[in-house]
Amino acid sequence: MNHDKFAHISDNELLERFYTGHNNEWLGILLQRYTLMLLGTCMKYLKNTDEAKDAVQQVFLKTITELHKYKVDYFKSWLYMIARNHCLMLLRDKNIHIPVEENTYLEDHTTDKAELMEKDYTLTIMEASIEELSTEQKTCVTLFYLQKRSYNEIVETTGYTLMQVKSHIQNGKRNLKLLVEKKMKNN
Amino acid sequence: MADIENILHNEDDLNNEQLIKYLEGKLSEEERHAIEKQMAASSFTNDAIEGLQSIANKKDINLYVDELNRQLHQYTHKHQKKKSKRAIKHLDWIILSIIIVILLCVLGYYVINLHKQNKQPDKTEIKR
Repeated sequence: MNHDKFAHISDNELLERFYTGHNNEWLGILLQRYTLMLLGTCMKYLKNTDEAKDAVQQVFLKTITELHKYKVDYFKSWLYMIARNHCLMLLRDKNIHIPVEENTYLEDHTTDKAELMEKDYTLTIMEASIEELSTEQKTCVTLFYLQKRSYNEIVETTGYTLMQVKSHIQNGKRNLKLLVEKKMKNN
Repeated sequence: MADIENILHNEDDLNNEQLIKYLEGKLSEEERHAIEKQMAASSFTNDAIEGLQSIANKKDINLYVDELNRQLHQYTHKHQKKKSKRAIKHLDWIILSIIIVILLCVLGYYVINLHKQNKQPDKTEIKR
């Protein structure tokens, strides 16, 4: 099959086609879209190209086997969970220390991305909530999302390291979400 | 104002070509920011990019991906071939069974006919 001609078909539709006839070729087209990201993810944890490539192959095989057994609704999140958990298992087998924040096996649940946007957030709540973030988080979130600055620019402007900038943006975003949810509940 | 709402909106669908260009530093400011927004929104994207950044020679990435895709192609087609082989085997048995039944019918017909022919001379002898 020529994979380019399937570019217009969404992940969900490819998955549906696979579930309809259990033809693995649909799965091949779908997985090929994520080969690069899987390689990167496995590289991040295993830090060795050969091991990462082996791990990606294992993830492919596991995906092919598992998807015949049960239905998956959110393929991308599920695939990430499979890849990450596989890498963590390999590291544990080798008794390699894993940092605490990365040491949690992901569970098969869907992300709440759509749910959040479906709710009608008022801009005033958002603006007020940004003010309640810590100074570092407020600075990074404002520079990144409102002033559209790149990671490197924020590093140069604030003097934080790249890791710190990423962390402030991630945590700031999470805290902002919690603050908005809390305010929405109270209203 | 829409930018404030975008903070909680998770971007999706990262283009592989764009990702490679991001790693090679060949994107415009705006495009780079779009990728970084996706990194902030998705752990998968963030992990993938951090991992790919650790590969020293970026040109090797495409070679690795091609190699993995060839392997994937073998996996998905091998399983499919096995399936079709199994289907052919099933079909073989059905055809074989039909042939045996037809042969038995033909054989039965000949045996009955032979039996009838053997009985006929006896009847004329009795008449005489």
